[in-house]
Amino acid sequence: MSPKSLADRLPVLSLAIRNLSRSKTRSALAAIGIAIGVIAIVSLGMFGSAFQRSQMENIGTIGNDVGVFPGEDLDRANFTETQLREIRRAAQPADLIAIKQDVRDMRTRDGTAGQTVYGIADPGRLFDVRQGEIPDNWRSGIVVGDQLATIEGIETGDALNLDGQTYRVTAVLEDAGQATLVNPNDAVILPPSRFAEDTYTQVIVLSDTTAEATRTAERIRTAMNDRRERVQVFEFGQLAEQINQLFLQLNLFLIGIGAVSLVVAGTSILNVMLMSTVERRGEIGVLRAVGFKRFAVLRIFLTEAAMLGLIGGTAGVVVSVLIGAGIHSLFLGDPFAFDTLSVIYIVGGFSFGIGSGLISGAYPAWKASRLDPVEALRE
Amino acid sequence: MLIETRNVWRRYTLGGEIVTALADVSFGVNSGEFVAVVGPSGSGKSTLLNLVGLLDTPDEGTVLVEDVAAETLSDGKRTELRRDTIGFIFQDFYLIPTLTARENVALPQLFTKSASERNERAVALLSQFGLGDRTEHTPSELSGGQQQRVAIARSLINDPAVVLADEPTGNLDQNTGTTILGEFERITDDGTSVVAVTHDRLVTDFADRVVELVDGRIGDTTKETQHVS
Repeated sequence: MSPKSLADRLPVLSLAIRNLSRSKTRSALAAIGIAIGVIAIVSLGMFGSAFQRSQMENIGTIGNDVGVFPGEDLDRANFTETQLREIRRAAQPADLIAIKQDVRDMRTRDGTAGQTVYGIADPGRLFDVRQGEIPDNWRSGIVVGDQLATIEGIETGDALNLDGQTYRVTAVLEDAGQATLVNPNDAVILPPSRFAEDTYTQVIVLSDTTAEATRTAERIRTAMNDRRERVQVFEFGQLAEQINQLFLQLNLFLIGIGAVSLVVAGTSILNVMLMSTVERRGEIGVLRAVGFKRFAVLRIFLTEAAMLGLIGGTAGVVVSVLIGAGIHSLFLGDPFAFDTLSVIYIVGGFSFGIGSGLISGAYPAWKASRLDPVEALRE
Repeated sequence: MLIETRNVWRRYTLGGEIVTALADVSFGVNSGEFVAVVGPSGSGKSTLLNLVGLLDTPDEGTVLVEDVAAETLSDGKRTELRRDTIGFIFQDFYLIPTLTARENVALPQLFTKSASERNERAVALLSQFGLGDRTEHTPSELSGGQQQRVAIARSLINDPAVVLADEPTGNLDQNTGTTILGEFERITDDGTSVVAVTHDRLVTDFADRVVELVDGRIGDTTKETQHVS
């Protein structure tokens, strides 16, 4: 930096930079401390939010579905056709899918085992297909869940034997994840007509928005449950809300850990600046002797502390962005998936870095400014 | 009188005991006068210099700078008065090691003058003391004598009425010391007073007046008759 530029335009800043460069290692260590604190806050924050986003990508798709299950006080284990009509009326105008469920013996390579079987009229509305297709008006054939198909090596066109009856595999489903009302991954799905009884283990009500889902759920509760609990209504919207709260707390906890490390870093700046005031006593005395007021001395020392915070904060932000890109790539498959929250963490972490520099520098700077020049100049 | 102390007392507490550093000292400096203050260690020389230099205030008595009683001023006002009327020179030069000679000389004007004004003045002063080719050198690149001349230039940047020097030749060899004292003579020729606290015989040879302090009291004053106004 040429003496004509920075030193002349911003003399205090220039003084501060040169003072810091006097003990490079010590200044660097203090700045690294701040950098680590900033990295901890920003990276942990971004980790939390990226993790949340990756989880919410699963939960979000079913956040609008309402599950209706037989309640404690229902006169039987499953819903009857009549009860299903009641639910359908209550849910209007929302559409619903009734689900039958059974366990049948399936013959596999290793013998015979109990197998969960769902009866769903239109499984294509709930699940994605990865192989084959489900005909519009489904009367025959069988649909196999992702995991079961993989383990048993089942493909479309294969024959499956359930309770002695053979079905042709028409489609294999995609992995439906874990957060679903009906989990088809380890199951097979038959047309409802393939079930002996017309009773239903659960009903899924489809809605376009979470708000609509909540209203539908409320209507079903009002219509079906009086004093007795005939149905249990399960909303994913509420669950999503709870999960959001959980993630919020997790994030605060992670950022809290980061903040602790920044406090530690602040202590190291405090230490560096205190050492500096002791070592530079004579110099402070000279500044006072040549006519620097207390506030001028305070400014010089505070600027040094702020510079440590600025350097550490900047380094911390650069590293954090790199780490953030890694986290985003890992959780979201896109290294540049920085959202508003990530930016808030970056700006917040940077501000905390400079802030902790200033706060830690305040006491040493005040001490330096209060130093008695006579004492300071005494050898 | 440019600067004077009237019946000044200064006491310190040292290890629970009260030590009287200055006892009823009345001392004054006239314009353009070179006064040497001598005396054994602990005789109160530095205390006197600190009082006259407005770095310290007396317990009793008064310090007058251009007829202003220093102890009535706030710390800020006293600092301003010090900046505008007094220059300091120290035994250890006390240059800021990270600043160039020019920047060290310009330092007292950091908050009061524009960069071009203070730099121009600093370079002019350095040239005046034979350091025109050393303005961009840092103190570590200068000899002791050169450093002390930088310090003298710094003490003069605000055109002070008086320059206070604490053992100005203490860290210099005799030849360099003589050169520095020659510079002091030039300063006094321009009307600026110099007060030097010293053990050095050489300084007393150059001084217009020598004031001796013994146990915090004014003792012998020699050469006094020549210059008292």
